[in-house]
Amino acid sequence: MLYVELLAQGLVQGSIYALVAVGLTLVYGLLRILHVAHAGLFTLGGYIGVLVTNATGSLFLALIVSMMVVGVLGMAIYRLCYQPILDKPPYVALIASIGLFIAMEEIYRIVFGPYGISYQNPPLQSSVEILGLSLRMGEVAVGGGTLVLIGALALFSTKTRFGTVWRATVTDPDMAESFGVDIIKVRYLNFFIGSALAAVAGVMVALLNNLVEPTMGSVPSYKALAIIVLGGLGDVRGTLLAALALGVIEAFGTIYLGNYLDRDAIAFAFLILVLMVRPQGLFGRA
Amino acid sequence: MSKLLEVSNLRVQFGGVVAIDDVSFSLAAGEILGFIGPNGAGKTTMMRAVTGVVTPTTGSIRLKGEELIGHTIHQRVRRGLGFSQQLVKPFRNMTVLENVALAAGAHHTASPVSALFRIRREDQKDRAKDLLEQVGISDAAEADPSNLPLGYLKRLEVARALALDPELLILDEPLAGLNHAEAHTLADMVLDLNKAGQSIILIEHNLGEVMRICSRLVVQDNGHKIADGDPETVMSDAKVRTAYLGEVVDDAAA
Amino acid sequence: MLGLSGYEISLITSMGIAVIFALSLNLITGFCGQISLGHAAFYGIGAYSSAMLTKAGMPLAMGMIGAVVLAGAIGIVVGFASLRVRHDFLAITTMGVGFLFLGVMRQWDFVGGEMGVSGIPGSGLGKPGFMILVLGLVVVTVLFSLHLKRSWMGFSFDAIADDEDTARVIGLDVSRYKLAAFAMGTALAGLAGALYAHNVRFIDPESFGFVESITVLAMVVIGGIGSVFGVIFAAAVLSVLPLWIQFIDEYKLLLYGGLLFAMMRFSPGGLAGIAQKLSSRKAVKVPGGGSA
Repeated sequence: MLYVELLAQGLVQGSIYALVAVGLTLVYGLLRILHVAHAGLFTLGGYIGVLVTNATGSLFLALIVSMMVVGVLGMAIYRLCYQPILDKPPYVALIASIGLFIAMEEIYRIVFGPYGISYQNPPLQSSVEILGLSLRMGEVAVGGGTLVLIGALALFSTKTRFGTVWRATVTDPDMAESFGVDIIKVRYLNFFIGSALAAVAGVMVALLNNLVEPTMGSVPSYKALAIIVLGGLGDVRGTLLAALALGVIEAFGTIYLGNYLDRDAIAFAFLILVLMVRPQGLFGRA
Repeated sequence: MSKLLEVSNLRVQFGGVVAIDDVSFSLAAGEILGFIGPNGAGKTTMMRAVTGVVTPTTGSIRLKGEELIGHTIHQRVRRGLGFSQQLVKPFRNMTVLENVALAAGAHHTASPVSALFRIRREDQKDRAKDLLEQVGISDAAEADPSNLPLGYLKRLEVARALALDPELLILDEPLAGLNHAEAHTLADMVLDLNKAGQSIILIEHNLGEVMRICSRLVVQDNGHKIADGDPETVMSDAKVRTAYLGEVVDDAAA
Repeated sequence: MLGLSGYEISLITSMGIAVIFALSLNLITGFCGQISLGHAAFYGIGAYSSAMLTKAGMPLAMGMIGAVVLAGAIGIVVGFASLRVRHDFLAITTMGVGFLFLGVMRQWDFVGGEMGVSGIPGSGLGKPGFMILVLGLVVVTVLFSLHLKRSWMGFSFDAIADDEDTARVIGLDVSRYKLAAFAMGTALAGLAGALYAHNVRFIDPESFGFVESITVLAMVVIGGIGSVFGVIFAAAVLSVLPLWIQFIDEYKLLLYGGLLFAMMRFSPGGLAGIAQKLSSRKAVKVPGGGSA
């Protein structure tokens, strides 16, 4: 039973990782930027989720508002922060992004206070029994929500014209541009969708912990980087699998290796181990 | 076996696509060889195999009888290859002169440890000045390459390759993007280099200049070698005309 | 002594250690162009090595040599590992090394686990004497950095930092140069770590975390990647600014973050880049006169 419980825990954690990492890998595929500030958008998503829920009592409305606001802010970050420095060496955007992320965390601390905020009436706290496992509704919502969103994303990107163009552009931006794709439009869409997904993850984590803190994005910020590398940078399917795999490995690892390494160290030991054997990532092509 | 470069039965495959299929050619010391073919013929792939960017599936590439396959790019350079790349890539954090001087100091940079204990750059700078003079861009010696027109950068690529004192100089489309007069001047310079004893492979689109300066042509199409010989014979070959000029005829008809 | 108060002496000592640490990263990131997001791990390896060696009764010099050797050796191992991965992966791999170091140190009882190591022997030179030792090592580090920049190794690093593929085309063994940069930079970080350990005399894993790695990167980037004097200036100022002006400590991270972002967004050359722009109004003649 312990195994099944650990597996379920790992998959829930992995779903959160997946929602954050998808946006990151999309940005990498398109612009070759390691968009660390993405985790700051994740945190903001959590804040907006809690604030709007507390003000209106509707978690659903909070989710929509959070996705919209964070999505637009993601586009603004692209336009104001990244676009002007795209022609500089890659470290320029990376360091700018790290700086932006640190500043965002500090702004949340100053604006919302260092101790974080919680739901007044935490939604989805009841438990359900599924296959003999007792899960919180929140956990079920995280797993189910991720499945629905990623499914929708998959449908959009394979079944619609714009989705096909988008996928082609993420895979090979230069090629797509030479076919006459409006690459700027694709970038905006890309940042909007990626950021909105991070906002959902933020709202969900707020739900699971009933707490949003300024530093809530710290762990996802570096963990998601590890995940997109494992997934083979820029590869969405690989990223999803890597996110779930890492969630599960951490869940088991903390039980069996906890005496030697903490959770973060397990994740990165796994990353370094994988890179030594497969330098192109777990699912990346050589 | 007095061949300088000998490519035999080379095959390059990406996934299911065969980019180069069983191509052999060679180059004698002191020769200037034009390597030509229509767009998508696999010229660039062939050169990438020689430089070491692409690993061939089968076949061999020998320089002075020594196998190059299995060696990295910098090892091939140290064995006597010099490349001027199709896309100009000057080091933008140094002047034009320094770009060439660094290449001229190849014996100083062979090992990081010895490089740490050497400081004097005057001899290499002098040599670099001579080379810039030779390619005709000495007026730009102290300029930042980011501000230079393409014609200068193309010649900087050539000067930097020459600074390595290569046994074999490989020029990948040095004339592309230049206007008629610029191309003519640079082609003259390449010919002068050859007359001074430099062995050269010239990969080019500009057929007029290739015909003018090369003593021999190899034509590749669709990954196959379709002709090899002196320019006039090659260009009157029926296969070459259909493969190569066929495009032109189609264009004219359209 | 020297007319300096005890407070000023400890301020100058911390500044000096920060300068050595920042210059050590400058060798890797500034000169060779390799981004490291886990440099604090090597600072930590140096600190722990020297602390454990001197606590075991070794003299200070042995502790420092041990710190340099161990940090450099692990740096070479990490360097080898990072050569296997693609360019973009390096920042993430080094970040992973940083977290791995923290994770191991937190759980390893031999080095005190979460509690850290306390009661580390002082230098035995007194505060002013230790300050002079640190300043002496700063001078050596600065001279070495300046020499390196002028040498053919520095020349080759310039090429590698700008364009690895083209560096190979002019015959540079890029991997060996990168390893050399890693070895030197991490060994020097180990030295700075040893000095830190004997200065504060208490260390725990949290002193060498991700924030420390970012802080030292901030010093290099804000000073101006590759510029020795820019980095010295930024390291000196950023290391003591929070101590001088109390309210800044509260906003220290906002300041770092904001500066990092603003510097990259508006002047990727850092303070050195700004200084250069201001001083050299000499227009470079563009021959050919055509469009670039």
